[in-house]
Amino acid sequence: MRLIIFLASLLMTFSVFAQQDKYQFDNDEQAVRFSELTKELRCPKCQNQNIADSDAVVAKDLRDKVLALVKDGKTKDEVIEYMIDRYGYFVHYEPPVTPATLVLWVLPVLIVVLGFGFIVIRQRKASVKQTWTHEDEALLAKLIKQNQRQEQS
Amino acid sequence: MNRKLLALAPLLVFVLLCVFLYQGLFANPRELQTGRIGHTMPTFNLPDLMDESKRWTDADLKGEVYLLNVWGTWCPTCLAELGYLTELREQGVKIIGLYYEQGYDPDFDGQFDINALREDVTSMLNRAGDPYQFNILDLKRTLALDLGVSGAPETFLVDKQGTILLHHTGDINPRVWRSKFAPLMQELQQ
Repeated sequence: MRLIIFLASLLMTFSVFAQQDKYQFDNDEQAVRFSELTKELRCPKCQNQNIADSDAVVAKDLRDKVLALVKDGKTKDEVIEYMIDRYGYFVHYEPPVTPATLVLWVLPVLIVVLGFGFIVIRQRKASVKQTWTHEDEALLAKLIKQNQRQEQS
Repeated sequence: MNRKLLALAPLLVFVLLCVFLYQGLFANPRELQTGRIGHTMPTFNLPDLMDESKRWTDADLKGEVYLLNVWGTWCPTCLAELGYLTELREQGVKIIGLYYEQGYDPDFDGQFDINALREDVTSMLNRAGDPYQFNILDLKRTLALDLGVSGAPETFLVDKQGTILLHHTGDINPRVWRSKFAPLMQELQQ
């Protein structure tokens, strides 16, 4: 059993090494930036994959370009801007706030605000309606007495 | 009255949602708004597909309205549009090919032979029609990346100043030509 676990763990480390071998970086910071960027950039061909996951030709080209730009010392924002210049906003998984995408940002907030507003207004209305007069108090006392008598008999 | 309206609200929301989702059924996710529209052609210096001693640069293309058609012999949709593109050439539309090669890349095929490719291209264009003035060979797909190309076929409409006016993903057929290209072409010729 122990041997199997040991062998399995060996397999896992090999796959990790293979990943790192494929791309050579000057330092760890570059490797981290590369992996963040390839997860955040969307493959223009196979639409619901990022470029790290996709096997499409264009995804490979974008990965290579990201690698080259990262090694050039470009920051994350500079690389994203480079890609948006060429492939449009589509290529980034985080939509920017523009008139066309404003609804995405505003609608959830609007729904929450309106929902809470609705609840508050409803509760206020309900509490205003329920006034408690002396007659109500007298009626309540009478009903309680009646109930007690019924239970005794 | 107010209460009745309130009771109808969920139904209204549901109907709106239905309309929204129904539209989504017919939306084309391949219709991308890429970043290069309105910009000038990126600079490049690439060889001719048929003759590597001849090189093309962005400056060579200026001065005329043209279509830049990204294609490859490996791409069936490109084969399908060759006939109609050839018709367009006969009507006087200038079409330049940007050859999108995959075999050169060691990650995909790695089997690359320029002479075999040329033979392949020649036989295909002889069979299906040759719409191209000439073809630019983009072995490493650098110009393709600069143009925001995600595959083939894709077509750009470029004006005399070298400004990209249109980026179409997918094949060009009479319907696409009439709705997307023809109005712009007409404007450019005036």
